[in-house]
Amino acid sequence: MIRFFSTLPAKTLPRLPEAPPARIAAFVLNRLAPRLWQDEDFAWLAGRAIRIALVEPAIGITLGHDGRHFVPMQQAADVTLRAGWQDFLAMIRQEADPDTLFFQRRLQIDGDTELGLHLKNWLDATDWDALRSVLPGPAAHWLSPRA
Amino acid sequence: MRVPHLVCPAGSLPALKKAVDHGADAVYVGFKDPTNARNFAGLNFTDPQLAEGVAYAHRHGREVLVAINTYPQAGQTGHWHRAVDRAAELGADAVIMADPGLLAYAARTWPQLRRHLSVQGSATNADAINLAHECFGISRVVLPRVLTLPQVEYVAAHTPVEIEVFGFGSLCVMAEGRCALSSWATGESPNTHGVCSPATHVRWDQQGDTLYARLNGLLIDRFGKDEPAGYPTLCKGRFDVAGDTYYALEEPTSLNTLSILPELMRMGIAAIKVEGRQRSPTYTAQVTRVLRAAIDAASQERYSVRPEWQSQLTAISEGHQQTLGAYHRPWR
Repeated sequence: MIRFFSTLPAKTLPRLPEAPPARIAAFVLNRLAPRLWQDEDFAWLAGRAIRIALVEPAIGITLGHDGRHFVPMQQAADVTLRAGWQDFLAMIRQEADPDTLFFQRRLQIDGDTELGLHLKNWLDATDWDALRSVLPGPAAHWLSPRA
Repeated sequence: MRVPHLVCPAGSLPALKKAVDHGADAVYVGFKDPTNARNFAGLNFTDPQLAEGVAYAHRHGREVLVAINTYPQAGQTGHWHRAVDRAAELGADAVIMADPGLLAYAARTWPQLRRHLSVQGSATNADAINLAHECFGISRVVLPRVLTLPQVEYVAAHTPVEIEVFGFGSLCVMAEGRCALSSWATGESPNTHGVCSPATHVRWDQQGDTLYARLNGLLIDRFGKDEPAGYPTLCKGRFDVAGDTYYALEEPTSLNTLSILPELMRMGIAAIKVEGRQRSPTYTAQVTRVLRAAIDAASQERYSVRPEWQSQLTAISEGHQQTLGAYHRPWR
């Protein structure tokens, strides 16, 4: 029974449509953009599709940018960054360095390497401390490095 | 005994702040263009970001050094001159350069701006360093990672120029400033385009458990299940040589000098440099914290390398092992 519930997400989540979570992700990014990326025009993302994917369960979202907003994309991604959710969380919390995860084979880059590098460097250049300072307490705590 | 400055890398404003927060004495950075040797997509500083970074560092009593260490390309020298002007106008404490013409321009135009001779300048002996000192008034030289420890000591004893050495980070094949391997496969090299193995030419191809690394279509390595990957450079690829497949040029290793810090300090080394402007603020924070603690400890009596420093540095290193590199080589 326990096994059934622990394997349920791995089996069912990949079958769910990706558009709703991609729309939510785009919405959140668009809300954050004025605070975090004021000087960024995202020209490097114009007409491109980037995919953030989990290893297990095999799900992901594909996003692009129309020059003003992040938008969910249906087309095949130009580049995919793939890792476990714990490793994505560790990167956001700034506990793990992406190159280290890459050396350790825990972060994969498939497709256009330069676009993937730009994506990585854009995330690195983001002031996550500024984000944590405006989020509500529990969310800020969840995204903060563990002591 | 002189306590060397800790010089740490920053590819972004958050990385610069992390370096300052965790104890770097100086942070080195570059502009978003081919005037520096880490010209990667999305990396480096705009002018407003550099201005903010300089203000942040100066508020904490630290320095910002700007690397303009590639070689100006024909017909485009103005672009490199402008980079020197921007660094000076934005309040940089020093510029790190390799090209003699650019050094002359900086010395003539901004005599008060300190000039460091970059590792890309490949100055490995006291005569070369002293010539750059006489001609361009360089105050510091970054030694290429090709010298043994006794050679570093000899050079330091025969020049009035401050010596900066690499203390930690990924290693280059031992032809620094003169390497054209990347150019052989892609037409672009660090000295001309500011980038080794440009990302546009790199493809990572995961097939089952095996990861294939290709540079402009050339297979340069193949990593089996759970085998650590490295940067996709030709020098660290594995090649078939007379029936054997191995690291024919250089193994992917990381330099780690924690064990020789007291010796470097006894030689009067002015600065210890950390490689890695291409890496994240997290890396900068982690390495800076360890090196700061180690340098402070080495300036006291009875220094020993603490196991937790080694394990923290091992965790973020490229390659299978850490090494003293050329500092400890029996051959000459």
